[in-house]
Amino acid sequence: MLNLDLFAWWAVTISGGIVFLILVSIYLYTNSRVVRGESNKSTAGTSRVIRRESNILAAGTRLGKDFIFVWVLIGLLVFYIISVNIGSSMVFAAGNIIVEVMLIAYLIRNRREKSAETVRPRSQ
Amino acid sequence: MSSTEVFKRLQTSEQGLSEQEVKVRLKTHGYNELPTQTLTWLQVLARQFKNPIFVILIACAVVAGLYSELKQSVIILSMIALSIILGFYNEYKAEKIVIDLRRNVSIKAVVTRDGKPSEIDSRLLVPGDLVSVYVGDIVPADLRVVECKYLQANEAVLTGESFPIEKTSEGLNLQNPTPHQLMNYQFMGTVVVNGSGKGVVVSTGKNTEFGAISKTLARTHPETEFQKGVRQYGNMLLTLTAALAVGIFGLNAIIGRSLIDALLFALAVAIGLVPELMPAIVTISLSQGARRMAKLRVVVKRLVSIEDFGNMDVLCTDKTGTLTEGRIVLNDCASIHGKEDPLVLTYSLLCNAAVVGEKISGNPMDVAIWQHAMEKGAKEDARNYTKVDEIPFDYQRRMMSVVVRNNGEHTLITKGAPESVLSNCTYVEMESRKEPIDTTLHLSINDKFLNLSHLGYRVIAVAYKDVDTKTAYSAEDESDLTLLGFLTFTDPPKKDVTSALANLNEMGVNTKVLTGDNELVARKICDDLNVPVKRVIGGSELTQMSSTEIKAAVEETTIFARITPEQKLDIIKALKANGHVVGFMGDGVNDAPALYEADVGISVDTAVDVSKDAADIVLLDKDLLVLANGITEGRKIFGNTTKYILMGTSSNFGNMFSAAAASIFLPFLPMLPMQILFMNLLYDVANITLPTDNVDEEYTKWPKRWDISFVRKYTLFFGPFSSLYDFLTFGIMLFIFGTFAAANLSPTSPEFLKFASLFQSGWFVESFWTEVLVMFVIRTRRIPFLTSRPGKWLTVLTLSCIAFGTVLPFTILGDFLGFTALPAEYWVLLVLMVATYLLLVDAGKVFFYKICKF
Repeated sequence: MLNLDLFAWWAVTISGGIVFLILVSIYLYTNSRVVRGESNKSTAGTSRVIRRESNILAAGTRLGKDFIFVWVLIGLLVFYIISVNIGSSMVFAAGNIIVEVMLIAYLIRNRREKSAETVRPRSQ
Repeated sequence: MSSTEVFKRLQTSEQGLSEQEVKVRLKTHGYNELPTQTLTWLQVLARQFKNPIFVILIACAVVAGLYSELKQSVIILSMIALSIILGFYNEYKAEKIVIDLRRNVSIKAVVTRDGKPSEIDSRLLVPGDLVSVYVGDIVPADLRVVECKYLQANEAVLTGESFPIEKTSEGLNLQNPTPHQLMNYQFMGTVVVNGSGKGVVVSTGKNTEFGAISKTLARTHPETEFQKGVRQYGNMLLTLTAALAVGIFGLNAIIGRSLIDALLFALAVAIGLVPELMPAIVTISLSQGARRMAKLRVVVKRLVSIEDFGNMDVLCTDKTGTLTEGRIVLNDCASIHGKEDPLVLTYSLLCNAAVVGEKISGNPMDVAIWQHAMEKGAKEDARNYTKVDEIPFDYQRRMMSVVVRNNGEHTLITKGAPESVLSNCTYVEMESRKEPIDTTLHLSINDKFLNLSHLGYRVIAVAYKDVDTKTAYSAEDESDLTLLGFLTFTDPPKKDVTSALANLNEMGVNTKVLTGDNELVARKICDDLNVPVKRVIGGSELTQMSSTEIKAAVEETTIFARITPEQKLDIIKALKANGHVVGFMGDGVNDAPALYEADVGISVDTAVDVSKDAADIVLLDKDLLVLANGITEGRKIFGNTTKYILMGTSSNFGNMFSAAAASIFLPFLPMLPMQILFMNLLYDVANITLPTDNVDEEYTKWPKRWDISFVRKYTLFFGPFSSLYDFLTFGIMLFIFGTFAAANLSPTSPEFLKFASLFQSGWFVESFWTEVLVMFVIRTRRIPFLTSRPGKWLTVLTLSCIAFGTVLPFTILGDFLGFTALPAEYWVLLVLMVATYLLLVDAGKVFFYKICKF
């Protein structure tokens, strides 16, 4: 018989972990937007940024795309809680395989080989 | 001050000092030698301890020892010892190489004492000694010239000026003169390139100009960017470890665990957070880098400078002897129209004061004429002439003349400063005919000379006239001359410097020239080397600037001309304050303070000892192309060190965070302290070959900076991934493999212990697999991670450790550590779970690197 107190504790903990990760993602994302916004302001790109931000629909779509990783996390959380609750290793294994296929597809789409996305020195 | 006054002031005479007086003065002033910056073995050893990570580790070792965790205490102390021994061995070896590099030859000086000249060791010179100097001599102390004959000195080591300085014994009336202006002084370390002279020793040893610069060097090197980064990282870790350890101890105590158990668990978690191996990884990386650089004939004197070498984004360099060859060559010998004229070369060869023997010596420009003539085979033309008389050079006329005979005709040839020669010319030779020089032509020729000077050339004019046969000729004969042409001289850029600087520019390193030479010469060199010049600032302009103005000016200035050693220091400090990692390359004594202050001081083996002492890196070959290799090496080492820090901190943080959380809701400890420490040790073993790992090519393309906020963000983002899969493992172990049943059992019952052991074994294996395997994902920015090939040894050792960790629960050692065999079904789930974890972290990289640049 499943120990409900323990399961509740466990579910809270793993959910807490994912919520923490989502909050960190949001913080990092917002932080990077602020930094980018500031640098855009200083290079006379303010009006363009404001115009772009005003387009709520576009912003929503971009947010959806930018946060695809967060949606994956939420999906995983639901799957893990359900599969552990069921207590079936078969469900757990099958679900993992599906998630892996999805992640591989995502990685192939975002393939980045030998790209030099590093910061150019300020003096350049 | 006249020579007589000099003798009087220094209580000496033309007979020199008496031996008795010398003894007294030697006691008062000491030996004529400079203190060097060579470190003793003890000092090299002591500087290995300046690392905050060691402090944390030593504290952990002491606490572990106090709480009967002797095994762990010994392991931690051994790791500290290993790091210290490695660091000491490499740095002391480098110091010894530099000592060997020193020319162990004592400089001799010809001194007149009691009226008799004799050769003595220059260490024994005292103020008041009367010293004679000749061509090729290194001036042994600071001298006030009292007698001279065509005396010229190369003062590049002191001032950066390539061309020789003419010396005089006359008194000068100057207010606050700089060494450049003191033409009646000769300075210690400078070289006599022409003529001879006598001088009274004014100051010796550390009181000389040379010594004054050495004295400005601080006793300890300023902290490098890398050291600052490690210190910040240590502080961050200290805070995190303390907070987590106190929190875990408090929570476990509150929920009723025994205080000793709670303390040991908190301690194990704290130790788990500390990357024990970091000092060793850094030292091994640096040592291996130093060895690879030694193969490129680059001696690394201070290991910590290697990473700054890689991260350097501004390279300030001296000009003479660094960018240029540090010797004068004849560039052109041409008629007044600029057409090459062999007669100009023949005449300048005849009117020449160089001493030609096995080696050509004398005034560098006369030597350059000879070398050029020998290369062109032009000296044969001069054989048809016989030298009849010579009117030597002097500073009033600023020219010299010879009278030669050819086919019975006598010709006077004059060579010297263009303005002096031109003012004695009434004709100019233009395409084999003589044209009278009127005012317009005089101005036009003068403009031509000025233009050449502005292009950075040193110009000498050549003129002649036919003269009657006489027994003796004098300066009065140097009139009504016909201007034949001119010679231009330059200090040529070193071979391959252009491509070396272009390489550096491509690697994100900006070059700035800091020279004691004038602006025109510096501009010419930059043009020759294809270095675009944005702005030029002179030393006098810099003096009038405030520190804020200097900070702004250094960003847009390419050439700093006519600057003093102190100003070089100000420029380096301003660049550092602006957030740059600054390298400085120089070889003269005037470069030593800047070499010391820069994040990376680079010198060459032909540099003066003071410069080599102050430098972090010494190039044994003059080939500057090696700089680019060194920078790449530095970037690889920085890359591998960063990998360890990012992996270690984020996965350790994740694991320890999960341990802390689990200890609260589980009826047993999620992992025993001994198990945590063993996993930590095994993880460190897997990491030991990290310094040999490959670094992606694109990573070494641009300089990086230590960015502690990036490490913090990285830990915050990637740490929870590890925790997430730890929690998932807890779920699987509790609810799929049924260990939750322990909650209803007595903690002393065998069933309870069996469940606890199964849980701990499951988490140990999962935690170890994820912690180690994620290394392959995190070590590269490439997506998918499989497109970056890891180092051979890293792969072998990591997979071996994984194999060991996997079989551990089935072994006697596993049994001893409290593990139990895991069911086959678990391994299937583990493989799937870890694969998902690795893919998820790789996907996290897409998101993270899009928003966090490094």
